[in-house]
Amino acid sequence: MERTEIVDKLTVIFRNVFNSENIVLRDDMTADDVDSWDSLTHMAMISEVEKCFSIKFKLKELNKLRQVGDLIATIESKLQQ
Amino acid sequence: MLFTSYGFLLFFVVVFFLYWLLLREKKWWKNWVILVASYVFYGIADWKMIPLLAVATAIFYWLGIRIRSAKTEKGSNAYKIIGIVLGVGTLVYFKYFNFFVQSFSDMFSAMGLQVNLHAFNIIIPLGVSYFTFKLISYVIDVYNEEMEPCRDFVVFADYVAFFPTIMAGPIDRPRAFISQLQVNRSFDRGMAVDGCRQILWGLFKKIVIADNCTIAIDEVFAMSQVPASLYLVGALLAIFQLYADFSGYSDMAIGLGKLLGVNVTRNFRYPFFATNIAEFWRRWHMSLTKWMTDYVFTPLSFVMRKWGKFGLIVAILVNMLLVGLWHGDNWTYAVFGLFHGLLFIPLIITGGFNARQNEKTIKFGLPHPVSLLKMLCIFGLCTCGIIIFNAESVGDALGYFRSMADVDIWRASYRFFLFPKNYVGFLVVFMLVVEWIQRDREHALDLTRIKYRWGRWLIYYIVILAIIFFDAMSADQFIYLKF
Repeated sequence: MERTEIVDKLTVIFRNVFNSENIVLRDDMTADDVDSWDSLTHMAMISEVEKCFSIKFKLKELNKLRQVGDLIATIESKLQQ
Repeated sequence: MLFTSYGFLLFFVVVFFLYWLLLREKKWWKNWVILVASYVFYGIADWKMIPLLAVATAIFYWLGIRIRSAKTEKGSNAYKIIGIVLGVGTLVYFKYFNFFVQSFSDMFSAMGLQVNLHAFNIIIPLGVSYFTFKLISYVIDVYNEEMEPCRDFVVFADYVAFFPTIMAGPIDRPRAFISQLQVNRSFDRGMAVDGCRQILWGLFKKIVIADNCTIAIDEVFAMSQVPASLYLVGALLAIFQLYADFSGYSDMAIGLGKLLGVNVTRNFRYPFFATNIAEFWRRWHMSLTKWMTDYVFTPLSFVMRKWGKFGLIVAILVNMLLVGLWHGDNWTYAVFGLFHGLLFIPLIITGGFNARQNEKTIKFGLPHPVSLLKMLCIFGLCTCGIIIFNAESVGDALGYFRSMADVDIWRASYRFFLFPKNYVGFLVVFMLVVEWIQRDREHALDLTRIKYRWGRWLIYYIVILAIIFFDAMSADQFIYLKF
């Protein structure tokens, strides 16, 4: 799957979970940039990403995510496995 | 050897000069000074437990290296699990073994069964709750590739046994702490001066507030026929006593770290100004809250991510139960933890769990009435929690609540004003006012915004005089040393 396709799908998930139609993903975006991105919505978002891309995250991978760019890179690497 | 004793002052002066004056260019020297000082400090308190500390340090040092050098993910995971089991096992054995034996014995007796379970005479090593948590976080962080394993044994042993924090925290995290010791430190006058200010504020909270609260509480309950309103006064004194004692200790530990050029993690951020319970826990015993969030709450909420809010509620209840039980082997701590866990539920349901606090103020920097009301509500709930926390048993806590639930509660108890230590109320208000004004600073005596030197020194002198004048002379132990 192309990176742009991943970003498009991820944008839909982010807009749904964080309940904001204006979200435009950037690689350096973090939880501080999105009002409703908290512990609960974070796990809801992860759950949606797993469903959408048919992948499973490990806790170790989640712990390393610092920004949206890391999430995209992790999804890319999982899809290539 | 208490931080507030002259013995400790002498000990620290010797350490300070050895650390900064000899072999200034050698980081290994500074690390060795910390190590020897830490083991001497620990040995004076409890020399019999030095082998436990040293062996645990050696095992976890080895585990860290094995986690990284293991050839397979499975092997690496196995070493991490060994570390967690050993860390938790040490804690459970020393702190909770007798509690489990007694609880099982009581349970079987209640069912009418005779059992031959005997409690052992287990001596709890000082600081075990703190250094085992440091060890556990180290193996998990190395496994999660948050940090490289430490390959300098002295540095690692310093991390585990650092004398300002080994007895009662704050619980430093390995990456932030170890990285500071892996480079040489040069004396930073600004950092050292700030450390002295923070120690001074810690001394004020311990000697002036906490110790006087202790005496006032004893006076309140020494009288016959305590009226309901004095039970309320006693509960209020107890929460301020605990806060001043523990945050005072933490300030001193952080200040001592700064004098050695080492940044110790923050432990309190003015918790009484929190406007919701999640915010309170982000400000109270922060190093424990952060530890539990990272190693208990996050993994649990990850496992239960498909259950949405329900999963989060279960995760927070388990997390807070363990926070309570971390304090010791009494059901009161479990109930205290669960009580706080339950307070989170409305917040989770309404979606305010991670809401960032915005303290609104009105004229003269006073809190907005709505913010003030929220702060008072959280303070009231936490005071109820402290009643459970301090009680000998759950039954005693309920008895305390019953004693407070009397029409007499609404009558101001003039009898409190007859006590010799009744001025403690004014001292507490003084502490709160100073902390409110300084709430955006790391500690209340960070007076860098006062331009005039004489102005800053005037305040330091007032605090020093207050310490001398209001010294309760009780030389009380720090409450959190027993945990």
